Amino acid sequence: MKIRNFCIIAHIDHGKSTLADRLLASTGAVTKREEREQTLDSMDLERERGITIKASSVSVMHHYEGEDYMLNFIDTPGHVDFHYEVSRALQACEGAILVVDSAQGVEAQTVANAYLAIESDLEMIPVINKIDLPGARPEEIALETEQVLGLPADECIFTSAKTGAGITELLDAICARLPDPSPRKSGDEAPKSDDEKTRALIFDAKYDDYRGVVVYFRLFGGKLKVGDKIRMMGTKRGFAVGELGKFKPKMTRQKEPMLAGEVGYMVASIKTLADVNIGDTITLDNDPAECALPGYQEPHPMVFCDFYPSGETQFDDLREAVTKLHINDASFTYQPTNSEALGSGFRCGFLGMLHMDIIQERLEREGNVSLVQTAPTVTYEIEQRDGTVFEITNPADLPDPSLIKEIREPMITAEIITPNKSIGDLMKLCDQRRGEYKKQQYLSETRQILDYELPLAETIYDFYDKLKSITSGYGTMDYQLNGFRRDNLVKMDILVNGTRVDALSVIVHRDKAEYRGRVLLKRLKQEIDRHLFEIPLQAAIGGKIIARETIKSVGKNVTAKCYGGDVTRKRKLLEKQKKGKERMKRVGTVDIPQEAFMAVLDTGE
Amino acid sequence: MQQPQQVVSGHGVNLFQDTQNALGLYLHIPFCFHKCHYCDFYSIVDSATRHEDRQQHFTDALISELLTANDKSPLKVRTIFVGGGTPTLLQPKFWHQIFQTLHKIVDFSSLDEFTVEANPETVTDELMRLFAQNGVNRISIGAQSFDQSLLKVLERWHDPQNVSKAMNIARNAGIRYINLDMIFAIPSQTMDRLNADLDAVLDLQPDHISDYSLIFEPNTPLTQKRNMGLIQPIKEDIERDMFEHVITRLSQAGYDHYEISNWAKKTQANQDLPVWGNRCLHNLLYWHNANWLGFGPSAASHMNGHRWKNLPHLGKYIEGSPIPPTIDHEYLKQHDRIGEQLMMLLRLREGVSTAWIKKHIPDSDVRHQTIKELRDINMLEIRDNYLRLTDQGLFVGDAVIARLL
Ligand code: SF4
Repeated sequence: MKIRNFCIIAHIDHGKSTLADRLLASTGAVTKREEREQTLDSMDLERERGITIKASSVSVMHHYEGEDYMLNFIDTPGHVDFHYEVSRALQACEGAILVVDSAQGVEAQTVANAYLAIESDLEMIPVINKIDLPGARPEEIALETEQVLGLPADECIFTSAKTGAGITELLDAICARLPDPSPRKSGDEAPKSDDEKTRALIFDAKYDDYRGVVVYFRLFGGKLKVGDKIRMMGTKRGFAVGELGKFKPKMTRQKEPMLAGEVGYMVASIKTLADVNIGDTITLDNDPAECALPGYQEPHPMVFCDFYPSGETQFDDLREAVTKLHINDASFTYQPTNSEALGSGFRCGFLGMLHMDIIQERLEREGNVSLVQTAPTVTYEIEQRDGTVFEITNPADLPDPSLIKEIREPMITAEIITPNKSIGDLMKLCDQRRGEYKKQQYLSETRQILDYELPLAETIYDFYDKLKSITSGYGTMDYQLNGFRRDNLVKMDILVNGTRVDALSVIVHRDKAEYRGRVLLKRLKQEIDRHLFEIPLQAAIGGKIIARETIKSVGKNVTAKCYGGDVTRKRKLLEKQKKGKERMKRVGTVDIPQEAFMAVLDTGE
Repeated sequence: MQQPQQVVSGHGVNLFQDTQNALGLYLHIPFCFHKCHYCDFYSIVDSATRHEDRQQHFTDALISELLTANDKSPLKVRTIFVGGGTPTLLQPKFWHQIFQTLHKIVDFSSLDEFTVEANPETVTDELMRLFAQNGVNRISIGAQSFDQSLLKVLERWHDPQNVSKAMNIARNAGIRYINLDMIFAIPSQTMDRLNADLDAVLDLQPDHISDYSLIFEPNTPLTQKRNMGLIQPIKEDIERDMFEHVITRLSQAGYDHYEISNWAKKTQANQDLPVWGNRCLHNLLYWHNANWLGFGPSAASHMNGHRWKNLPHLGKYIEGSPIPPTIDHEYLKQHDRIGEQLMMLLRLREGVSTAWIKKHIPDSDVRHQTIKELRDINMLEIRDNYLRLTDQGLFVGDAVIARLL
């Protein structure tokens, strides 16, 4: 029996899930009824958003030219924020299927993910999908793929996951074109002797309420069986293998040992996801390998925000929800924090905005808590006059300006694919966001690739939405983090009714501060209800007020009638007024709604 | 001439000693000849002549319901209030039957106040004499405005001329107290037109004035029109100015502003009046959270912390006779009950006594802090050992009170 390990990489809606389902169905792994479900996506939330967050793997059998092949399909997510999950899935494969929509063509994520695969020395099979669509231009798109990614157009396989066209051809190509599993990865510096030793790469882990942590691994060399004493080479922690198995696509236990080249899962009484490092190498305790497989760097969170309890939710409820979610999903970081304005909460770190939204929604939904979330911000690198350098993730933590030599902010290199006609407007957008033009590249007669270097902070909020609207939905973007760069950055404080609200402080470019201040205060004015007293709003840099607004006090709010004796009705009406307030955060004597904390993101464009 | 002076003050006077028994009765007569566009009271359109049967069935059911409250000894209630709807739309023969029943179940010797609401068009000599003979001593007339075109905005059908006629008829028949209901901040009203309305009211010298700012209640034609942009509500700051103006003018004219929307003519030392003067005792009873029983569809009741309402549905009311279907039962927890009481008492200009606060609000209650905050921003004040809305707080009374619920 031969083994093929591969993943599918695609732009977000180019039909990866349906193609995967089709592949499974054609190998007989999934019945017709199960086919209806998108087998590989499990969480509701993921399905609602049409994305796959967690990578998982499925093993199926295929017969090709008289031989049995075990096809191990490792799933990858398709969103910009989840690059790291794509790259760790790539580590476990020898091949990748690159799916391109035959109407939409190559998109920014296709390019980014294809480059990742090429860097990892993966064999690639380009697939032009959705050829059943009326607007399909498979030949043209195949040429585009050749032009941008250097994958020969004549190697493209045309498929329709919907009608089944090209699916058998694709399965055959997987068997024929992808290499046999190798005991070592590219860049592997292990001695030859390690090829015989047990080395398994952890490419994912999930938490299951019954089994504890389920570890997904790809075995490069040696064997693994139930009862083996194993050691994680990175963390040096030891466990005993309690259960081994594969997803076919249902979780299926296996008694026989797992052999080199195979992909599977193991359960080993690991209590929390924090005990497992994705990218770590598993070896046998009594016959260890010398070198771990080339490491894989867990990404640093780059976007941060605070969560505070609101309404009925207490800090303890929030703590419970956060820690519980973290056992299930270690992709975000958290630490307790304290705000003068908002009390006790958690500062959490995310890989991007979408990731943040997902975590926030899961906290509210699964943890049943109500939250006030502060506006997301990025990490800043601070160099003080005395030479010390450190990072802050919260503008409120910025030291006194007199101590600061410079503030550096994280940069990204953005690759934007856009229709020609939107180029001008896109460049204007990038300029407004302090972007630096890098290069422009021809993609096809109608589209171009635009490279820009931008401050991450300028892109975390509505940049992607703006890009989408400028390009009528046709533009796509992908980005890589690209170090820190110094700029003329200052902290702008916001005073509500004379009190500085630390959760509203924001780091901005000095030249844009007045403008941002005015926009921010206007937004705050819209978001904060009128009170019984006048509320001055001010934006300040250091001690200097740079913008101001006033929220007028309520003029009249008194129901004249007392509804005969219907006291209940009267009380309920007033209670409604009061309830509205309870969902807000009280800062001093001012009730501030959640939306107001997001006001700092309004760029006023 | 003797200056009008206020001999009546609620301060220190406990008007409602009996806290166990019903001290008031409320009767709801659910008929009107036409539905005013701002109205959300429960009433159905009725013309007495065409719907005599229905009036009879309603009267029968009301009487049966009243009889359920009959006790071994007659009820020692202090007030009866007949509201609606338009109670005066009920034919005299039905009034007759209702009075008979009331005399059977109520000890009229302890009755201080008996009010009936009246539409100016339906105040007849016959009816007023019948009322007076049967102990009615107060008539509340729905004038709303004396401006024909403003009445049109409200879709209120009566001739403003008839208000003074109705007052004369009632007074001549021996009705002692007369209230006029007024509304201000009616779309298209200006300060000048408000002044004209106030002139007209003061000219008539009623004993009591209720002047409400117009409320856009949900599910009323007026609100629909507003939502469709057909009428423009008065702007908030103008409404506030109007309210302020009403307060100033009525007090200058010798009326005591004793509740957010209620004014009582100040009494003079030589007048032989009860301690509450020209104030409406029945309403004071609501605001002091005393017990009362409501009869008729949609009527609310309160007995020792229990509140409920009859279903606002005439058909079911008649069907269910003598025990009508009820809704909105409520018995509040202590904490909420205190909030409710504050809500009611703070509507009174005198406010709530600090002794009451000390007695009922535990030290641990955040309300003490809230009260302090509200005093700091001059929304509440303490005057003569009473906590009350400031002149400024009055305009935003709901927002202030909401914080204390
Ligand atoms: S008369 Fe009174 S109860 Fe009848 S519709 Fe008009 S406002 Fe409503």
